[in-house]
Amino acid sequence: MSTISTALRNFKEPTKEQLTQIFFSLPSVGSLDGTEKTSDQHVEKMDINAVLSLGVQGVEDSYAGKLHIISPYLTFTSLDRKSVRFTIPLSTIRRVERLNARAGIYALSLSTWHGMKIIVQLTSLRPTADLFCSLLRDALKIELQRGQMKQVKGFVKTCYSEALVSTTSTVADNEREDGSLISEEKENAGPRESTYHGGLGLRFKFPGDPKKLREASKIKLWATYLRTHGRNLTLIRYPQCTRLVQVGLPNRLRGEMWEALSGSMFLRFSNPGVYEDLLKQNEGRTSTSTEDIEKDLHRSLPEYAGYQSQEGISALRRVLQAYSFKNPELGYCQAMNILAAAVLIYMSEEQAFWLLEVLCDRLLPGYYAPSMHGTLLDQRVFESLVQRCLPIIHDHFQDVDVQLSVASLPWFLSLYINSMPMIFAFRIVDCFFCMGPKVLFQVGLAILKINGEKLLQIQDDGGFLNLMRDYFASLGDSAHPNSSDPRARAITRFQELLLVSFREFSVITDDMILSERRRFRSEIIHSIESFSKRSAIRNLKTLGRFNKEQAGLIYDALYKAMCIVPPPAPVNPPPMLLTPNDGTEEKPETRIQLKTFQYFLSEIATWARNEKIVMNGFQQRVDRELAEHEFIDRLFFFWDTSCSGALSFQDLVSGLDGVMFNDLMENIEWFFNMHDKNKDGFLTKDEVLTLSESFLFIFRYEVGDAYLGAVSRFMTNAFEYGDALLPQSESEEPVNEGDEPSSPSRTIESNQPYLNLATFRMVVLADEVLESFFETDLSSSFRLEPVPDVELPVSNSGLLGDLWSTIATDTNKKMFNMFTDEIGKTIGKHQVMHKPSIGRYTKLEEPKARESLLTPSMRKSPSKVSLTASTSRSTLTTSSSSTLTVDVKAEPAKAFPNIPDSAAGFSPMVQAVNARLMERTAFAIDDAKDDEDESDGELDDNENDDQVMDEVDAFLEAHDSGLTDADKEVANDLLRAEPLK
Amino acid sequence: MSDSASGSVDKSVQVKLVLLGEAAVGKSSVVLRFVSNEFQANKEPTIGAAFLTQKCRLEDRVLRYEIWDTAGQERFHSLAPMYYRNAQAAVVVYDVTKASSLEKAKSWVKELQRQANPNIVIALAGNKVDLVQPSASSPGAASSSESEDEADDATATPGETPGSPGEPENLRQVPREEAQAYATEAGLLFFETSAKTGEGIVDIFTEIAKKIPIEHILAATRGTTRPGAAGARSNGAQESGVNLEENAVKSKDACNC
Ligand SMILES: Nc1nc2c(ncn2[C@@H]2O[C@H](COP(=O)(O)OP(=O)(O)OP(=O)(O)O)[C@@H](O)[C@H]2O)c(=O)[nH]1
Ligand SMILES: [Mg+2]
Repeated sequence: MSTISTALRNFKEPTKEQLTQIFFSLPSVGSLDGTEKTSDQHVEKMDINAVLSLGVQGVEDSYAGKLHIISPYLTFTSLDRKSVRFTIPLSTIRRVERLNARAGIYALSLSTWHGMKIIVQLTSLRPTADLFCSLLRDALKIELQRGQMKQVKGFVKTCYSEALVSTTSTVADNEREDGSLISEEKENAGPRESTYHGGLGLRFKFPGDPKKLREASKIKLWATYLRTHGRNLTLIRYPQCTRLVQVGLPNRLRGEMWEALSGSMFLRFSNPGVYEDLLKQNEGRTSTSTEDIEKDLHRSLPEYAGYQSQEGISALRRVLQAYSFKNPELGYCQAMNILAAAVLIYMSEEQAFWLLEVLCDRLLPGYYAPSMHGTLLDQRVFESLVQRCLPIIHDHFQDVDVQLSVASLPWFLSLYINSMPMIFAFRIVDCFFCMGPKVLFQVGLAILKINGEKLLQIQDDGGFLNLMRDYFASLGDSAHPNSSDPRARAITRFQELLLVSFREFSVITDDMILSERRRFRSEIIHSIESFSKRSAIRNLKTLGRFNKEQAGLIYDALYKAMCIVPPPAPVNPPPMLLTPNDGTEEKPETRIQLKTFQYFLSEIATWARNEKIVMNGFQQRVDRELAEHEFIDRLFFFWDTSCSGALSFQDLVSGLDGVMFNDLMENIEWFFNMHDKNKDGFLTKDEVLTLSESFLFIFRYEVGDAYLGAVSRFMTNAFEYGDALLPQSESEEPVNEGDEPSSPSRTIESNQPYLNLATFRMVVLADEVLESFFETDLSSSFRLEPVPDVELPVSNSGLLGDLWSTIATDTNKKMFNMFTDEIGKTIGKHQVMHKPSIGRYTKLEEPKARESLLTPSMRKSPSKVSLTASTSRSTLTTSSSSTLTVDVKAEPAKAFPNIPDSAAGFSPMVQAVNARLMERTAFAIDDAKDDEDESDGELDDNENDDQVMDEVDAFLEAHDSGLTDADKEVANDLLRAEPLK
Repeated sequence: MSDSASGSVDKSVQVKLVLLGEAAVGKSSVVLRFVSNEFQANKEPTIGAAFLTQKCRLEDRVLRYEIWDTAGQERFHSLAPMYYRNAQAAVVVYDVTKASSLEKAKSWVKELQRQANPNIVIALAGNKVDLVQPSASSPGAASSSESEDEADDATATPGETPGSPGEPENLRQVPREEAQAYATEAGLLFFETSAKTGEGIVDIFTEIAKKIPIEHILAATRGTTRPGAAGARSNGAQESGVNLEENAVKSKDACNC
């Protein structure tokens, strides 16, 4: 019982495009189920240099930066990428005017839904600016056509900020100091006037003391900011915004700001109704995830009043379930319950659902995946940052063998929510949504730095955890209790923590984290994969006669095959209606299907792959491809002992165990059983023929005719002995002398029991070639060692040899191969040979190969199964016109077995083999040597310290607008400019 | 705080113990009962692992258990080796009302026997026996507090109501005999426990203490004093310690805080 996942193969570096999306909090393409990107297939993209000013003078400086159209969004970032930025859905832009400004200045005024004017001066060259404008016009038109513009009105009504800034609103009258609603009980006071979303806090109060949190003044500051800088969908982030977030968002606005800052609002905006639909469609569905969720519902922030009520619990259930239905691969991971429970205090279910999506998909990538690779990677990154920023602590931890992640893992996994008191954790979460995942690292480093001295005293993991617990419990205390300055005394340890985080560790940038992740990614993938390999092996019920290493090789082959053809997602056995949740259900298990099995087998069995040795004068290589044959399918079903149409790792191990250790007699029996479909101990005539076909398949590339001869003898003998030994009872007329050869009497149906094991054995042992095949060759045609990729660049051409070493990527190699083949062909050096699967006979035994099948001397028995081939030398393929007749001439003494219909399927095979035989040139083929040159370049580019310092400097130049005074003047001018007619 | 207790534990033997088992079988509750003699109806799931310590006296020796309580969900599995490395003892917990949890327990045992410290003492604990006993302390009694009721909701399988108090036995999915037989075969200590009532909890730790090769550990540890790390738990229960020979358990339930 184990699952094997190749998901980590897709755990790659984000592309440049993805990084832009992440930076601007844009929904990732594909994360939306087609609703977003159906009408405009290709996303319009363009960026341009621009200077941004707000249309109200004196409120904010102007900033130089880059304006992007990433349809359906318009985004801007200041040059330092942190002071100012916005992401605005195009559908909220109501008017675009070209401004009548000084000569040579190209400026647009954009009016948003909220009546705010944004002025952008396009500072690129004129044609670029024109192009940008026309793109913008087109993109806006599309949004209008899509009807998105109409959605805005309804959507903003769901945002609390609208009510907050509205001068006529009376929201404040109905609120307690902490922002929760007073009139909750006056339910028959008519429909609630407000349509904005909110969380459980409205009803169950928000955590923390509103006085201490200074809710009232925070709300006032935000109301002012949101009035002048846009809000919800049109929020523009100036430095003031970040500062306000850092002092803590007010309860009432928190949910909406989380949405706006993280970009999850865009998902909710562009996917109306999806959350409800998801729940409706999956109503009543259960899965491992829903079971795990049930277990944790009552265990999520249980101290909060909302989760002591059914209302809170069911909201939590719905959000977590909906997410697990949306992303079944991730499903549910413990810690998500804590996040969801936390955000639901401030947000509606729908808001929380989309926020969870952004968290799992973009902000904490891979954190909650089944392998938790993102968590492990970031723990490694954190450790490396500690080593770099706090080397003394790092060294001490090494000395006393303390693992950083015993403490830090839950910090990251639950965004500090279950490590520190909620009110503090939520403030970290505020910063996290505003400034991104680097906040988690900055806070972590600050925690260690602040506790530095005590950390140097600890001796083990336990001491470390206790110290951290005590520290978190004291966050509300004064950081300087003994200071004489009352203002210093008033600073809490939590404030100190944030200060250290964002001042001293401002050196930690997004780019730094990205590059550290790049550095450790493969290491982490490797360790996870080898861990799951070890547990898969440990979970085997039996290793058979293999040792662990060998089982590991089988696993590797399986893994490789799964990368090529992924199996269906491991599922629980179909839910049985009668036994719900009785706890006896099996664990999900990875099982591969036939197609994957073919790849698996091609890794292991020499005859399950076609290998062509290509020589073109420049190189000798082996082209490898999958062999397909009924024999392989047969093996698949033979090993499927549970008859489930799919094989588990255990099935494969047991299956291989059943053949790889066999001696002569066991192999004969194994081969026999494989073809005895109904397991009655007899092969039918059909099966005898299929078995012969299997032989031919396995021997298809053997050099010389020894094997073909052997198979032909085998068939002859099998039918002969078979007939001779037919039990009297079953043959009505065993001897039917004088029959016409053309109408042999049917003594037995082709699908009746015919040949038993003893007879089969006899027939096999009568032949030297087959005997040696069963004695050793069959077992050793299964090889666990990884198949080497044989590529032997031949250095006789210096140029091409050099070329080779520089182009070693897969596609390049393919092109190179084709190229050299072409040259090889023109200079007559192109040769292709099939590599034999057995390779016992490396020379042609009989030079007169062509005749050998036909010469009567070959037939040792008097019965005449003659394989006559009218040769067609033109081609190798089975489409050749060669015909083969299995000519049955009955001996007068015997009724010769009728060749059943299945012979029809049999003939092309033989035909092909024959044809190939004809074509073959005599070559001694050595096993190609395993001479792979490991030219794996060190991919990790080591972080350049100077570069980091440069970035640090850039960061410290806070809020540089990037404009000269003259530029600023121009920008100010624009504020007064009139639209062009 | 950590410094205050240091120095006073020179004579104690440290035993690193790890708890493993499927999610929500009650690992954290077992530890909480052992360390603080408390029970919380709705314990948050453990993320990563939690760490607690408890001193206890066995005859003339003082043992200091350093307990690693791990997360139960399958995907946290790959983290487990970080916690069970160097452990001298393990308690593998399953839930007597959930058959699959015994299967998971078995696979933990297998992993420990192959991967962990070779001399590790393993105990198997079938938790939540209170749910299958018709005793006075069983749920649903008129005297039970609100928080207890919630505990029942939380532990019951979704969609089901906890078995009627009259026939609690039908909740049981793992017969005692079956688990006992398995434990004997695999060479484990075995107990049925209830973190809620306290039944069997102290016994596990007592028996483990008896079975631990203490002399071995004493010889192996690099100096028995470990300033800073020692006695670090600031919990009140810690000072008093647990006398392993005395099996009395207060039946006070924790408040929901
Ligand atoms: N009736 C009863 N309930 C229990 C007992 N032990 C634990 N529970 C309840 O079972 C639930 C899970 O308990 P936890 O101790 O958190 O379980 P855990 O094994 O630590 O779970 P994870 O940390 O997720 O692995 C909680 O709601 C407990 O109140 C018990 O002995 N009897
Ligand atoms: Mg726990």
